[in-house]
Amino acid sequence: MPAVEAPTAIDSVRPTALQTGVRARLLKSPTVVVGAAILVMILAIGLAAPWLDTVDPAAINPSVRNKGPGFVELARNADGTQRTIEHRMGTDTLGRDVYSRVLYGARTSLLVGVTVAAISVAIGLCIGLIVGYVRWLDGIVMRVMDGVMAIPAILLAIAVVSLSSAGLVAVIVAIVIPEIPRVVRLVRSVVLSVREEPYVEAAISVGTPTLPLVIRHILPNTIPPLIVQATYIVAVAILIEAILSFLGVGIPPETPTWGNIMAEGRALFRIFPHNILYPGIFLALTILAVNMLGDGLRDTLDPRMKKRL
Amino acid sequence: MSVAEHHVLDVRNLTIALPAHADRELAVAGAGFSVNAGELVCLVGESGSGKSVIAQATMGLLPLALRATGGQILVDGEDVLAAKEGRLRELRCTRMSMIFQEPMTALNPVMTCGDQIDEVLATHTALPAAARRARILDIVHDVQLPEPERMIASYPHQLSGGQRQRVMIAMALVLNPRLLIADEPTTALDVTTQAQILALIRELQREHGTGVLFITHDFGVVAEIADRVAVLRQGEVVEFAPTKELLAAPAHEYTRMLIAAVPSLTPRHRSAVASESIVLRTEGLSKTYARGWLRREDAVPAAKGISLQIRRGETLGIVGESGSGKSTVARCIARLIEPSAGRILLDGEDVAKLRAAALRPFRRRVQIVFQDPYRSLNPRRTVGESIVEGPMNYGASRDAALSGARRLMELVRLDPRSLDRYPHQFSGGQRQRVCIARALAIEPDLLIADEAVSALDVSVQAQVLALLDEIRMRLDLAMLFITHDLRVAAQVCDRIAVMQQGRIVEEGPVAEVFAHPKHEYTRALFEAAPGRNWSFARRASV
Repeated sequence: MPAVEAPTAIDSVRPTALQTGVRARLLKSPTVVVGAAILVMILAIGLAAPWLDTVDPAAINPSVRNKGPGFVELARNADGTQRTIEHRMGTDTLGRDVYSRVLYGARTSLLVGVTVAAISVAIGLCIGLIVGYVRWLDGIVMRVMDGVMAIPAILLAIAVVSLSSAGLVAVIVAIVIPEIPRVVRLVRSVVLSVREEPYVEAAISVGTPTLPLVIRHILPNTIPPLIVQATYIVAVAILIEAILSFLGVGIPPETPTWGNIMAEGRALFRIFPHNILYPGIFLALTILAVNMLGDGLRDTLDPRMKKRL
Repeated sequence: MSVAEHHVLDVRNLTIALPAHADRELAVAGAGFSVNAGELVCLVGESGSGKSVIAQATMGLLPLALRATGGQILVDGEDVLAAKEGRLRELRCTRMSMIFQEPMTALNPVMTCGDQIDEVLATHTALPAAARRARILDIVHDVQLPEPERMIASYPHQLSGGQRQRVMIAMALVLNPRLLIADEPTTALDVTTQAQILALIRELQREHGTGVLFITHDFGVVAEIADRVAVLRQGEVVEFAPTKELLAAPAHEYTRMLIAAVPSLTPRHRSAVASESIVLRTEGLSKTYARGWLRREDAVPAAKGISLQIRRGETLGIVGESGSGKSTVARCIARLIEPSAGRILLDGEDVAKLRAAALRPFRRRVQIVFQDPYRSLNPRRTVGESIVEGPMNYGASRDAALSGARRLMELVRLDPRSLDRYPHQFSGGQRQRVCIARALAIEPDLLIADEAVSALDVSVQAQVLALLDEIRMRLDLAMLFITHDLRVAAQVCDRIAVMQQGRIVEEGPVAEVFAHPKHEYTRALFEAAPGRNWSFARRASV
């Protein structure tokens, strides 16, 4: 008989988790809360632009070109009565209202940022899972990824845009392509470490087929680092879109974006700095907020940071 | 004062608080013990008992989250708890030194061993470089490292585990401290290396009259080297007595329980396995890890020509030191890796070369339980989901699988209602029982336990071993039991195979191998087993 009896009483199990939920920890993190609040505010401004006392952002009015912030224009309605339009942020060289353009521009910038992040994470996740799991593909695919990474993102984007006509879709595609290798590398590294975990081997030995194995046991581990990576991609995409527009290869000026507003204000920057100042403030604020959110998420979701005291 | 002068270390009523939300309030609760000059005191306890916290507090290295809230730690009469950081820095290495469990991580990988010892001398003495070098060669010679010149020019990764630990000891003792703290210094080492390091520590300590505080969880080590023993439970010293007295007549119930849980080296009598049906047979099983492609000549054989067989209801143990290839054999048999050569016959059918899809019916019949209970369950899935995964892979309905899981939870003595809990809510031993339940869920013929109890405390280890044995009998399982621990092997195996450098050097019934080891390596293993002369388990076999 065994020296020590097998446990006879049925063990009770600790009733509650010691660690608090992820949501509670996120709400406690000041960087997450502040970053998210600023982003939500900018998103709300973009969405509510038509009701925030704006005019048509593409309407050209040569009579009020290059006016400073706070300029009040007297406009004539169709029936001959007069009304006043206040240009809170002045007008540009074509007489368009900068305030309206900046507010509407938030839509494009955020749309580009979020779309690029979603698409590049989705594609990168699929490729990363496959190359991380199918070892013989790894060498081939990763060298291609290295090749893509070797080309500076902006140059690659300019090349891609110039292959087709400039437009929202072309810009998004152009920014997605250089971001994919970064996501693939991240996912692949997580897959490589997780696939060696005993619980994955245990799942293999109870006969779990490959696809469920990857989805149930490996994929969930890639989510926290991907959320963090996605926020950085949002920031990078907004910036690259602005740079492309600034260089004149991005979204055409009929659709206002922060980048092309600044691009058009470039020529008269010394005399009329407001054309660059206001979209610049919004751009900087958005990037700051996204980065804060990303940092906060990393600190909260990365288990290694949990040990920090 | 006069009493304190005899003590190199005097811990008085030490209390250290844990941060809020920990599983208890105090890491150390009013602990008191002492170490005299030239004496070796063992601090024993299970994981989480506060052993390492006391060591850290003595060195002034407490993590920021822990605070000493009361008591004194007098090193040579000076209270280190009251000392400022500058004073502590002066005291470390000169008056008190520490060696750690894992010498690879405790040494700086980008400095040569000589430079690391030199750093201690340069910091604390004004010796010129030549004198320091002479002193380094001296101490390296003292810790019995071969070719001192070459050793001090080597980087840590160029040395073996035992050599690295010797370098750590040289570093700790180079300034002749009054107190040496050794925090599980041999736990990461093989048993033969452990025996050498223990002998070395004992010898140096006698030579230099150093007081040693030796932290361990292993009563074999205690019996081997300690003068006095302090038993720690949940931060309290429950018993502090001379070793012989404590081992022979433990006063406290907890000490008695701990000692009773130490498996005996005397093999337990087991009734002969009646069944003749052979579940598993391997023939010339080999695994070679290739280093990169094209360079065949660099290939490392991890297992070579392994032939063994296991009958229904029988437990075969594979014992050996780390790197002997025992886990490779287990993983080949479970087909987690593909063997390079040889046959694996399961009821006569060769599964060695089967590909993924063809392996599925085989996977049902061989299950494996891994060493680390903290990593072998997916932390994101409830234990219930982990247990039902196997049966559902083979077409069981969710309801049927769940009711099976509830029965298995009862079999491994866990509350069936805790199926919807997550792994982090279970203790290490409980998790290992969940892993056993998961392995049993698809009703295998062969259960492989790959160091399944090595990560557990002795008391928990004894429970899991008893459980495994009971399950084997009840379900008439064949079991392959991989372990480095001869004591464990003695208690659960019918036959054992001893592996060295990828080969089986000796195989036979446990009682026979233990009584008359034939191979010289087997004899060396027995020689090195700590505390082999002390019978812990007088109440062992019936």
